[in-house]
Amino acid sequence: MLKINDLKAGIEDVEILKGINLSVNKGEVHAIMGPNGSGKSTLSAVIAGNETYEVNSGSILFDGEDLLDLDPDQRAHKGVFLSFQYPVEIPGISVSNFIKAAITEKRKVLGLGPISAKELLSSMKEKMELLSMKKGYLSRNMNEGFSGGEKKRNEIFQMAMLEPKLAILDETDSGLDIDALRIVANGVNKLKSKENATIIITHYQRLLDYIVPDFVHVLHNGRIIKSGGKELAHELEEKGYDWVTKEADEKWGY
Amino acid sequence: MGLLENIQKNIADNPILINSEAAFSKFLELGFPDIKNEEWKYTSLKKVISYEYEIEKNTEEISEKEIKSNSLNFHNAIIFLNGKIYSKPKIKGVTISNFEDQNPSFDNAITALNASIASNGYSISVDSNTVVSEPIEILFLTKNSSNNFIQYRNNINVEENSEVKIVEHIKNLSEKICFTNSVTLVKLKKYAKIEHNKLQDNNDNQISIDHTYVDQDKNSISTINTLIFGGLFTRNNLNFTQNGERGESNMNGIVILDNKEFADNHTFMDHKMPNCESNELYKGIYLGRAKGVFNGKIMVQPDAQKINAFQANNNLLLSDNSSINSKPQLEIYADDVKCSHGCTIGQLDENALFYMNTRGISKEDAKAILTFAFASEALDKITIKELSSLARDLMSKKLNVNLSF
Ligand SMILES: Nc1ncnc2c1ncn2[C@@H]1O[C@H](COP(=O)(O)OP(=O)(O)OP(=O)(O)O)[C@@H](O)[C@H]1O
Ligand SMILES: [Mg+2]
Repeated sequence: MLKINDLKAGIEDVEILKGINLSVNKGEVHAIMGPNGSGKSTLSAVIAGNETYEVNSGSILFDGEDLLDLDPDQRAHKGVFLSFQYPVEIPGISVSNFIKAAITEKRKVLGLGPISAKELLSSMKEKMELLSMKKGYLSRNMNEGFSGGEKKRNEIFQMAMLEPKLAILDETDSGLDIDALRIVANGVNKLKSKENATIIITHYQRLLDYIVPDFVHVLHNGRIIKSGGKELAHELEEKGYDWVTKEADEKWGY
Repeated sequence: MGLLENIQKNIADNPILINSEAAFSKFLELGFPDIKNEEWKYTSLKKVISYEYEIEKNTEEISEKEIKSNSLNFHNAIIFLNGKIYSKPKIKGVTISNFEDQNPSFDNAITALNASIASNGYSISVDSNTVVSEPIEILFLTKNSSNNFIQYRNNINVEENSEVKIVEHIKNLSEKICFTNSVTLVKLKKYAKIEHNKLQDNNDNQISIDHTYVDQDKNSISTINTLIFGGLFTRNNLNFTQNGERGESNMNGIVILDNKEFADNHTFMDHKMPNCESNELYKGIYLGRAKGVFNGKIMVQPDAQKINAFQANNNLLLSDNSSINSKPQLEIYADDVKCSHGCTIGQLDENALFYMNTRGISKEDAKAILTFAFASEALDKITIKELSSLARDLMSKKLNVNLSF
């Protein structure tokens, strides 16, 4: 589904991603871990199409098509979704109108007929229930004044509404309390299918206890320096990053 | 020639047009202000007064259909066609007539010109203890086969404990330029309340200079909402004077300009008495080569203690060639005063745009949503439903978007 080849990207003359290779097939869950500042959020932003970052080489094939040729909204229409590490406040538009705008546009682009207000509302209610969200939240302005945890839950709510093929969850667990973590993880699991894939960026094993990854990758200094199965996450939790990063630094220099 | 000569020739041909010799000689003495005048520093009249104008001549017929399509079609409507009153409603407790100012006042060259020869305009007088339940629409339509200079002089008087809402709309239906010079005098008696909305949505065929003076007695509340969605040249002067305690004055504005349009909002809040309040919120959105000016003066007189005065002017520059000159001017001579002012000039938040894009919302729609959100705080001050939905439509059109919510 997703095939990233030798992706190099950065800002001005600073290279942040120094040659990323990653393959994700449908039905899979991948976890990306790595020290602060290693480039995890940058990678997700580049996949989503953030123009702040300049792509210097490589490709991001999604169902055979290079995402780098598409605008962020077009990528979304193809089924790419990013749950932001720091969700953005959008003043002046309610959550329900925001979702409506997003879904209306997607359906238009995909040539699907319009969805009735009633249908949309009942679908929103259903997804809110799945994520145990408070009533009244739909009429609040998008992320405005939301607590950290509410913002994260709102990201997953949007994911549930947009039903992406590829969801990238950038530190969705940070800011969630213990119960919320379980609820959100449950929600993500319910949305998983053989047809879609999930990339989870996290610092902690805890989320991966709920959403069990098929593969775990370590990103360090702009490169994936180690990949393994779910046991790799346990090992990292126990031993930290030193033992993997040291070897890499010897190889690539820091 | 130019406007000044056009006016002089018109008067020479027709001396009886003059209402006030004193005003006319004052106008001739002062002449049109130029940019050396502090109040006109960023607003040059040079070009607009260099055009040739007929003075209220060469009018063309305006059809019923044109009236309908340019009106909110309120039950209460005062309609002026080419300066002449065409219809006016009968409202219980309200007297409506042509305004004839026996002793017209003036305080600068432009209001002196208005005082000397303005012969059109309305007078609305609301009896005491009267709440006018439906808003009054005032429509000034013009249509001319040549450039036209026209003046209105209006008067609104709201007696004690009374309340009225007004929508005033000046619209030029021809391709030729219409230059409008209006003066409106508003008097609010104690506990009176007014919401006066000015809709200015012409294209590059309209030049407007407006002076509105609001005189408030104690416990009165005035709100003036200004909606500018176009116009070759617009200069609004709002002057509020609070003559009694516990008065409240509100002024809100939305300016959306494109191409080479220009608008200048000059406001003056004169706090003469203690325990009063004023709130000012102007939102400007500039595209193309549009240019805006904002000048907000707040004066708190020595005895006017316990004043709350708030002022904000926020601007979005959506193109490289648009510009705004924003100047707050505070003169505070009392010590127990809460006064805040802020001016911002910015672009749309890139992070917010990207966030919306990643949800599948196109760049254009994302911009439109953020722009609407930016203006909505001022838009929400309009309490007339029909007007705020019209304003939304006009905004969408101006911003070239089609939003379905
Ligand atoms: N817009 C930007 N401007 C300047 N530097 C940036 C920008 N975005 C990222 N960087 C730099 O690139 C590096 C990678 O940042 P990134 O946010 O991708 O790290 P991360 O792996 O997500 O870290 P964390 O675990 O703290 O979230 C950092 O050194 C960061 O300072
Ligand atoms: Mg990050």
